[in-house]
Amino acid sequence: MARYGRCRSTCSPTISLNEYDMKTILQIEDNRANRLLVERVLEPHNYRLLHAADGETGVALALDEKPDLILVDMGLPDVDGQTVVTLLKQIPDMESIPIVAITAWPPDKALEMARQYGCDGCITKPIDVKTFADQVAAYFYNDA
Amino acid sequence: MELQQANSFTFEQLTDAYNETRIDYLVPMPMNVARLMEYCRVYDVSLEHSCIAVEDEIMLGLGMLGIRHQRGWITRLGVLPAGRRKGTGSALMEGLIDAAHRESLQAMWLEVIKGNEPAHNLFRKYGFEETRELIVARRAPKAEFNKAIFDQIRRITTLNHEDAIILLSHRQERPNWLNETESLQNVRNLSALLVELKNGGRGWVTYHAGLLQLTRLIVEVTVGDPTEVTEAILTVLHQRHKRQDSIAENLCEDEKWLGFQKAGYFDSFRRIEMTRPL
Repeated sequence: MARYGRCRSTCSPTISLNEYDMKTILQIEDNRANRLLVERVLEPHNYRLLHAADGETGVALALDEKPDLILVDMGLPDVDGQTVVTLLKQIPDMESIPIVAITAWPPDKALEMARQYGCDGCITKPIDVKTFADQVAAYFYNDA
Repeated sequence: MELQQANSFTFEQLTDAYNETRIDYLVPMPMNVARLMEYCRVYDVSLEHSCIAVEDEIMLGLGMLGIRHQRGWITRLGVLPAGRRKGTGSALMEGLIDAAHRESLQAMWLEVIKGNEPAHNLFRKYGFEETRELIVARRAPKAEFNKAIFDQIRRITTLNHEDAIILLSHRQERPNWLNETESLQNVRNLSALLVELKNGGRGWVTYHAGLLQLTRLIVEVTVGDPTEVTEAILTVLHQRHKRQDSIAENLCEDEKWLGFQKAGYFDSFRRIEMTRPL
């Protein structure tokens, strides 16, 4: 599974609610099965999960809710994930929110795409349910 | 399994089916209803001649056929998970080729994403042969460009939609179905820039400037070094549209492509164009 961005030690402790408070994660994903899988993996970790099924709704939710992390599928039905990232990164209120590309693209292309568009990280599909929560948690570390 | 005409289904049904076919694709590219309707309009897709494979009232696959003059273009062909390993792809291909024969078309065209071997093999099985490889390139707004290029520019002329169509109709390079003048005539509000360099180099770009994206980019170099002039044209374009994400579809790997790369474009994925006579 290809990824870049902030790395977390594989032996890092389990995340607790006290340590991070309740972080809000916005998932922009059109595929229901993929959305449910991410929700199932992240729910035990006490995140507040928001969901948008297309880019326009995702941008609106991001502006309204100011999430702590945005997971963006690169293939969305109305606008590309790349365009969503482009837009969000140009909004002053949004520029500090980490955006992670979630994509089924081949790993080398996925990494290049995420880097070119200024994503803070990239995780390729299918997600690894054993490591995904840790991968996501890594984006909440300030000192990474 | 039976084949039905796509015009007996709603766009909502077609969109849902199409998205289901692409769930595990190399490059998924889902669509919403508005996007699929726009796609069919711009590329002259005939739903009457497009096929849906159905079994026990369940959609197994779909394939669409664009028609222009005596040419056909197979697009959006895909098999839903429920239809795999049942010969659905072959049934759709036969249905589309039959439809092309009924319309007395002379040739059929299509593109397959490079690396999608099952689809590529299916098209070969039905007599399609490769004509060329095409690049789908993107450029993020934060990509850098060479500001020194502005010192080399003599004149920039802004042109409107009608002028853009005239330029497009005089292209030297054979366009792909997506980039044909017929497609671009169906796009509203194209813009164009004519750029002349101090060294005599000259060329133009036509494009559609949306709020978030520059799309439908076509560059033609009429005089001078193709790489240098392409880079200059695109640098002017992106200096004027600093905030938009850009997509250039179906470029050939030639000297102009080097100019695209110098202007910040990168290879996103590739398509293989194929054709067969009828």
